[in-house]
Amino acid sequence: MDWVTALLQAGIDGVSFGAVLALGAIGLTLGYGILRLANFAHGDLLTVGAYLTLAFQAGLQWPLPLAMAGGALGTMLLTLTCDALLWAPLRSRRASPTSLMIASIGLALVLRNGVILIWGVSPQRYNLPVSPAIALGAGLQITASRLWALGIALGAVVLVSLLLQQTKIGRAMRAVADSPELARVTGVPVGLVTAITWLVTGGLAALSGEMLGLITTMRPNMGWLLILPIFAATILGGIGNPYGAIAGALLVGVAQEVATVCPASLGSLTQYCLSTDYKLGVGLLIMVLVLLLRPQGLFRGTRA
Amino acid sequence: MLGILIYSATLVTQAATLALFSLGLNLQWGMAGLVNFGHVAFMALGAYTTVLLTLGGVAWYLAALLGAGAAALLGLLIGLSTLRLREDYLGIVTIGVAELLRLLLKNERPLGWLTRGDFGIQSFPKPLWPNPQGNPLFGWLPPNQYPWVLMVVVLVVLAGTLVLLQRLSRSPWGRVLRAIREDEAVATALGKNVFAFKLQAFVLGGAIGGLSGAFYAWYLQAVYPSNFLPEVTFQAWMIVAIGGAGNHWGVLAGAALFQLYNSLPRFLPDIAPGQTEAIQVMLIGLTLIFVMVWRPQGLLGKKAELLLHR
Repeated sequence: MDWVTALLQAGIDGVSFGAVLALGAIGLTLGYGILRLANFAHGDLLTVGAYLTLAFQAGLQWPLPLAMAGGALGTMLLTLTCDALLWAPLRSRRASPTSLMIASIGLALVLRNGVILIWGVSPQRYNLPVSPAIALGAGLQITASRLWALGIALGAVVLVSLLLQQTKIGRAMRAVADSPELARVTGVPVGLVTAITWLVTGGLAALSGEMLGLITTMRPNMGWLLILPIFAATILGGIGNPYGAIAGALLVGVAQEVATVCPASLGSLTQYCLSTDYKLGVGLLIMVLVLLLRPQGLFRGTRA
Repeated sequence: MLGILIYSATLVTQAATLALFSLGLNLQWGMAGLVNFGHVAFMALGAYTTVLLTLGGVAWYLAALLGAGAAALLGLLIGLSTLRLREDYLGIVTIGVAELLRLLLKNERPLGWLTRGDFGIQSFPKPLWPNPQGNPLFGWLPPNQYPWVLMVVVLVVLAGTLVLLQRLSRSPWGRVLRAIREDEAVATALGKNVFAFKLQAFVLGGAIGGLSGAFYAWYLQAVYPSNFLPEVTFQAWMIVAIGGAGNHWGVLAGAALFQLYNSLPRFLPDIAPGQTEAIQVMLIGLTLIFVMVWRPQGLLGKKAELLLHR
C-alpha cells in the first residue's frame, strides 16, 4: 500500500507549499481587488524579502526571527516606494489596467535583475542547521522548517482576517475593493487604504519568500517562478477575495504535489508518471481550466 | 576582415528575425491592444515544427509555413478560450501557456524522441541548403559564406510581411482594430463583431511569430528549450515600445536599435559573470516602465496615433 502513503505524504507537502503560496496570493488578490493591479512584479517581492532576510541573517549575523522581520519591513518600504514613484503617477493619469500590467512586468524585470546584480545568480541558503524531519507515524513525515512555514502562514492569515473584519481600515479596504467610486464619495480615505494595502501586500509577500527560503534554496528567479501558481490561486479564489485565495493556493499546492506522485509499486507503469518537472504545469493547467469553465473563480470575487 | 563582414550578416539576420517576431506582437498589442505576454510560445512552436518537419524531409519553405500554421492554431485555441474574458486574463494565460509549452519541450516524456528535451536538436536542413554536410546553393557557395544566403531570405520574408501589414493597417480591417484598441464600446456600438476582429488579429500575429521561429532556429543552427525563455517575449515588447503602437516601420527601427544595444556588451569588459546581462534586462524593464508612464505612444511613436490617453 505504498501509494496511499505516497499520496498522503504528497498531501502534507502540498499543504505546506500551499501555505507559502497562500501568503503570496493574499497580497496579490488584495492589490488586484483594491488597486485594480494585476501585479506581475509580486513574485519578485517574494524574492526581495527572502534575499533581504539573507543579508540580515547570514551577512549581519542577526538572529533569524529578527532578520525575517527586517526582510518584511524592507519589502514593505519597497512597495511604498514603488507606489510613490510608479503606481501613483499611473493612477493619477487613469492608466488602463493593461498599462498597469505592462509597467508591472517592467518592474518585475528591474527587481529580479537588481537581486542578480547584488547577490549573483548562484543558489543560496540561510545560515541554518539542516532542518530535522519529524515522524508523523504511518511512514509520514514533515520537516521542521515546513512545519514552521505552515505555522507562520496560519498566524499571518489570522492577523490579516482580523485586520479585514474587525478594524475600521479593514472595512474601508473591503469597501474600496467592492467599488472604489462609491467608497470615495462616502468619505473612505482612499490614500490611506492604498498605503495599508501595500504594507500588507509587501509584508505577506516577504514572509512568503522567507518561508520558501526555509524549505528550499533561494535563487533570484524563485519568486518569478511562483507568480503563475499565485495568479492561478488568485483567479481560482475569485479576484479580491483573500479567503478564496487561501483556498485556491492550498488547492494548487496539493494538486501540484499529488499529480506528480509516482510510487515504485506501479512497476513498469512509472514511465507514464508525470515528471516532477511538471509541478508548475499542473498549477497552470488548473488555472486554464478554471478560466474556461468558471472564469469568475470558484468563490465570489469583488469584480464580475 | 571577411570574418567581420560575415558577422555583420549574422547580426542583420538576428535583427530581422527579431523584427519579424515583434511585427507579430505589434499587430496584437500595437494595433488591437491585446496583451500577449507569451509571444515566445508562437516562436517556439514555429521553430520546433519547422525543424522537425525539415528533418522529416519536408521542403524548408513548406515547413516554415506549416510552423506558422501551427502557431496560428495555438493562437486560435488561446484566443477562443480567453478573448471573451477580462482583458487582463489574456496576459496571464498567454505567459502561462508559453511556460507550459517550454516545460513540455523540456520534459516531453515518455515520447523523448520528439523534441529531445534539454539535448536540443542540431544539424537540420536550412533554406537552400538541403544537406547539412554538403555545400549550400547546389554546391557553389562555401558553407562559411552561408550567413549571406540566410540574410537575403529573412530580409525578403520581412519585406513581404511588412508590405502585407502596411496594407492591412490602411484597410478598413486595420481601422476597426485601432478603433477597438481605443474604445471597444464604440466599435461594438458601430455593429462590429469585436471578438472576431480580436481573434483574427491574435491568430495572424501568432502566425507571424511562428514564422519568425523558423528563422530563429536557422540562424541559431540548433534549438534548445532554453532558447525560448519569457525574456524573449519582453525583448519584443521593448522593440514595440520603442517603435510605437501600431507603427510597423517603428518596429524595424526598434529592432535595429535593440540589436545594437544587445551586441554592445560584447565590446565591453565583463564586470562579473551574468552582471552585464542583468543590467541589460534591467534596462528593458526600465524602458517598459518609462514608456507606460511618460510616453504611451512609444519612444518613436506619434502622439496622434493614440486618441485616448492610455
